[in-house]
Amino acid sequence: LQDFIELAVSATASGCVYGLIALAYLLMIRPTGIINFAVGEWAMLGAFGGYVALTQYELPYPVGMALILAFMLLVGWVTERVAVRPLVERGAALLAPILALLGVLVITREAISVSFPPDPLPVPFPVEIQNYKYFVIAVTVAVFAGFWLFFEKTLWGKCFEAVALNRRAAALMGINLARVTALSFAGGAAVAGLGGLLVAPNVSAHYLMGVPLAIQGFTALVIGGVGRVEGALLGGLLLAFAEQLTIRYAPIPGGFAQGVPLVFLMLFLVVRPTGLLAARA
Amino acid sequence: MRVLALLAFALLTNSAFSQDTIKIGVITDRVGVSKPYSEPATEGVIFAADEINRRGGLLGRKIELLIEDDQSRPDISAALARKLIDQGVVFILSVSLSPATQQQQTVTMEAKVPQMTPMNSADYLTTQLDNPWFWQTGPLGSVQGATLLAHARSKNLKRVALITDNSDLGQAIAKAFRGAFEKSGIQLVADEVVARGATTAMPQMQKIRAADPEAMFLAGVLTAENVLIFRAYKELGVRFPIHSSYNLSVPIYETVAKGLVDGITFVDAYDPDKPEVKAFVAAYKKGTGKDPQNLHGYGYDGIMLVADAIRRAGSLDKEKIREAMQKTNYAGVMGAKGMRYHFPEGKRAGFDPNGMVVRVYEKDRQGRVVYVGQK
Repeated sequence: LQDFIELAVSATASGCVYGLIALAYLLMIRPTGIINFAVGEWAMLGAFGGYVALTQYELPYPVGMALILAFMLLVGWVTERVAVRPLVERGAALLAPILALLGVLVITREAISVSFPPDPLPVPFPVEIQNYKYFVIAVTVAVFAGFWLFFEKTLWGKCFEAVALNRRAAALMGINLARVTALSFAGGAAVAGLGGLLVAPNVSAHYLMGVPLAIQGFTALVIGGVGRVEGALLGGLLLAFAEQLTIRYAPIPGGFAQGVPLVFLMLFLVVRPTGLLAARA
Repeated sequence: MRVLALLAFALLTNSAFSQDTIKIGVITDRVGVSKPYSEPATEGVIFAADEINRRGGLLGRKIELLIEDDQSRPDISAALARKLIDQGVVFILSVSLSPATQQQQTVTMEAKVPQMTPMNSADYLTTQLDNPWFWQTGPLGSVQGATLLAHARSKNLKRVALITDNSDLGQAIAKAFRGAFEKSGIQLVADEVVARGATTAMPQMQKIRAADPEAMFLAGVLTAENVLIFRAYKELGVRFPIHSSYNLSVPIYETVAKGLVDGITFVDAYDPDKPEVKAFVAAYKKGTGKDPQNLHGYGYDGIMLVADAIRRAGSLDKEKIREAMQKTNYAGVMGAKGMRYHFPEGKRAGFDPNGMVVRVYEKDRQGRVVYVGQK
């Protein structure tokens, strides 16, 4: 039983990181319909931010975290301005910004790979290593609670929902579409960056870390559904539990256990393609 | 910028000294996957060439290095070998990835130009092509596995666990370990894989803990995933010893796995207590102000072996250099105490199968040798 509890805590912490990446996708998909696979690279930026701020400059953790989040907001905002808005304004199809964002993915990764040494770089733990999992869980819960309150209780949140439900009607009601889109990208980048910063003390900062995170987050998103904020967290947790329980308890060779979450994902797509939590009408 | 500067340097020196220097080509990797290994090795090459030149050079001439970057890409690599030969090099030293070195052989074999790799470990480099112009003096992959297992046998292990990652090389090393366990009658009680990009190795380590092995063998080569394994090991508070492949001889673990590696044993080709190593470390520190790593030693030995062969050949005639190289008998920085590089019975892999050592991490530093050879 002690094994199981240890594993449950570890899976919850991993699930929180997946959930944050899924949330980053969701923040952008909901109002714009754009799937941005660069979230993995944004998470990587967050991790390298952790290396620069906490390892190189040895800033106190809260200061470093605030700086990184501010930087990520800027990254998201600039990305929307440069890679998305010009295309949308000229009436390009939805596929155009998605491809442009894949370009952003490549540029981000190459920029990091030429600016930093090739080895994984250490990022310090803000708390004792044994307690770090609880720290990750607490931060994630706070972030999700914040976004939930934002969407449910504030006028701005309602604007986002309105745009998600019907762009044209929302625009006619006087909602500033451009601002909602810019904010959704800034928020998405900040959340992805936070996910990267949280996972960095464990996996170190390295330039190839983005793609696996982008895939794990996307899987979590599909499982949870793009409809509701809670869905992202639920999807992340389910994915992490499926991964780790399979590796630990399933009587199959180590190499095959990696495939089980993917089988799980396929089943999900067949049986319930909208994800666990549907959007409210 | 640095590449440009080097290029400019190469061009300048080319015109100024081309009559009186001995040109040696170096193919390295400055931006690709092999960069963490190739850069220190290349620094070792440059240091060794400077040392030879300071002591009066070779056959009365100075050595001039022509350094090229192949990004570990075989396609680029062969073209660079051709370019170096066109520029008149008498020897090519290959310090990027094994497949790139292999591709260069297609050129050196045809052009009859001597070529050597002082660090590549792939066993196939001297067996696939019958190229009398090529030698390999780095420890072979098979020797690394055999040395680690000899150490394990000396501990009388009966039940062991194996953990690796899902990279090609990690899988290949794990496969070699499995085969060797079977041959030695050691029971494999847990066999786990950590996928690239995983965020924890907790479930794998729990499973290994439940199997209660006497020791765990680490075959993974992905640094970040290996650190996850050490972290889970520490968090679970397990006590069985860890024996690792040569991957842990890369010094990056001293910084990225701080506080996690104490007591882990690993295969290496470097003994810090060896007199040649002590002299090398002191000279390198004096010359550059930096501490050399084991990887610098590969490059240093590489150019010293080439210089030794040219000296014995007494001329720059390539056939004479080839004959001299084949008769090499030289003690360098790398290898266990007393090891000499030589190529027995016409073979072209020159690292003594009993020349590797098993070392142990002491706190966060790569420490003393605890086992030698594979007997």
